[in-house]
Amino acid sequence: MTETWLLATIWLGLALIATLLSIWLGIATALSEIVVGTVAQLIIGALIGTAVLGANDPWIKFLSGTGAIILTFLAGAELDPVVFKEKWKEALGIGLAGFFAPFFGCAAVAYYCLHWTTEASWLTGVALSTTSVAVVYAVMLEFGLNESTYGKTVLAACFINDLGTVMALGLIFAPFTMRTMIFVIIGVAVFILLPFITPRFFKRYGGRPSELEAKFLLLALFGMGFLASWADSEAVLPAYLIGMVLAGTVGKDHMLIRRLRTLTFGLLTPFYFIRAGSFVSVPALIMGPIIFLILLAAKIVTKLAAVYPVTVIFKSSRKEGMYTTLLMSTGLTFGSISALFGLSHGIIDTNQYSYLIATVVASAVVPTLIANAFFLPGHLLGDALEEEEIVKIGKPRKKFLAALKSKLIRSRSAEVKGEGS
Amino acid sequence: MITKLLVAYDGSRQSEKAFEFALDMAAKYSAKILVLAVARPPEPPVQVEMKAVLENAAQYYQEHFRRLSEHTATAGVEALFEVKVGHPAEQIVHLAKEEQADAIVMGHRSETLLQRWLLGSVAKRVLSYAHCTVIIVR
Repeated sequence: MTETWLLATIWLGLALIATLLSIWLGIATALSEIVVGTVAQLIIGALIGTAVLGANDPWIKFLSGTGAIILTFLAGAELDPVVFKEKWKEALGIGLAGFFAPFFGCAAVAYYCLHWTTEASWLTGVALSTTSVAVVYAVMLEFGLNESTYGKTVLAACFINDLGTVMALGLIFAPFTMRTMIFVIIGVAVFILLPFITPRFFKRYGGRPSELEAKFLLLALFGMGFLASWADSEAVLPAYLIGMVLAGTVGKDHMLIRRLRTLTFGLLTPFYFIRAGSFVSVPALIMGPIIFLILLAAKIVTKLAAVYPVTVIFKSSRKEGMYTTLLMSTGLTFGSISALFGLSHGIIDTNQYSYLIATVVASAVVPTLIANAFFLPGHLLGDALEEEEIVKIGKPRKKFLAALKSKLIRSRSAEVKGEGS
Repeated sequence: MITKLLVAYDGSRQSEKAFEFALDMAAKYSAKILVLAVARPPEPPVQVEMKAVLENAAQYYQEHFRRLSEHTATAGVEALFEVKVGHPAEQIVHLAKEEQADAIVMGHRSETLLQRWLLGSVAKRVLSYAHCTVIIVR
């Protein structure tokens, strides 16, 4: 046990450093942990030996895997079921375009330009197809568009996009045997039953210090994770779906979600992200920066090609559309989960994994920097009314906007005059 | 004539000073004050973590606002409190314009060189883009 405690101390020490860095730099903890994992492995590997971090020790793999599962579950539980039910038809086109364009585009680039194997190319497509719901949500909040029809549609589309990524990851590499069939049948039954059973079960036995809720959810997540793994699929697929089906019940229990977050951020995800970072080969990245740049360009261009036209349909401003599109290019959580799945299942090698992780990280950072530097639109909050009107009418025109603005100014000045008199 | 002041508040000592300054000024001019706190999502925002950050910020500022509202009530100054999400400078400048504030009162945070390089100085940006007078309290 002595060695285990020493390893745990090293990993938690790294997690603490990563958290401090994220606080000082104002960056996401996940990003900081990946970078700290990479640097730690590089330094410790050079000084003592690559095995010192013990990234493949079973208990570290377990904590890391549990982190990915619960994080994915929580991501799914963030879905707003009301918005999703209301907007899924409108969002389906954007969501599917946002998934399929980078999925096929990046897979094609990996296969034809980089001459990677078929399986590695598909995995590249999966890892780079994701969109960060969080980035889009943050932008919508910033612009005050989260309550507008446009905002709700784009957010629902992001969930569809990520669902596409998770489904692809869970099913593309599955061998489609009898086990797959059993997994799918049991999975469907669980996804239908859970929303009925869970709230009733929690109402009857929950709200006690024994944390029955957490145990019940972990049981469902581990059980479905085992089935997925047994069927040669990926455990995050059922976790995301369980999160989505429980979003309307468990997702609304803020106290429970907070307790799960404490467990996840405090112990589990540091192991997941530091481990993901520790497998990155810096020498490979230095030797082949062109590969990384090709993948990054493929990711941004394909997402741009699919999403930008949709923003144009909804919005009039080119700058705003470009800003939203650039921010939709990112996806750290599912991107790293997909890449790590590929590495652990022998679909990609360490070098390919390093390029994918670097691309995922860069695609989370570079578009944000470009968007903030060149496309940060002025103060859109004041235009919230126009946004609503635009979406209602469907085909926005600059003339219409100008007319609406002048109408607004007239009505405001009439109000002022009215007040004055 | 000063009728409305916007105070940029982040819970720091400097922003407390700015609040006290604005409160004093508002009492003298019989002006309203609008206290704005901005929750900044991590860069890049990551699922689950971002919601946690925003919830945490909302709770943090609500507690501070409760205390500040007692101060404004004692001083007999009408005050409004608001939490927004986004880049602090953007949100401060925008709300000042939207609310037609006569002046923005804010503290000067001692940002590190790295923070200034990554995010830009909030005070500098507000000074550059605000439509109204900006008072930086040191």
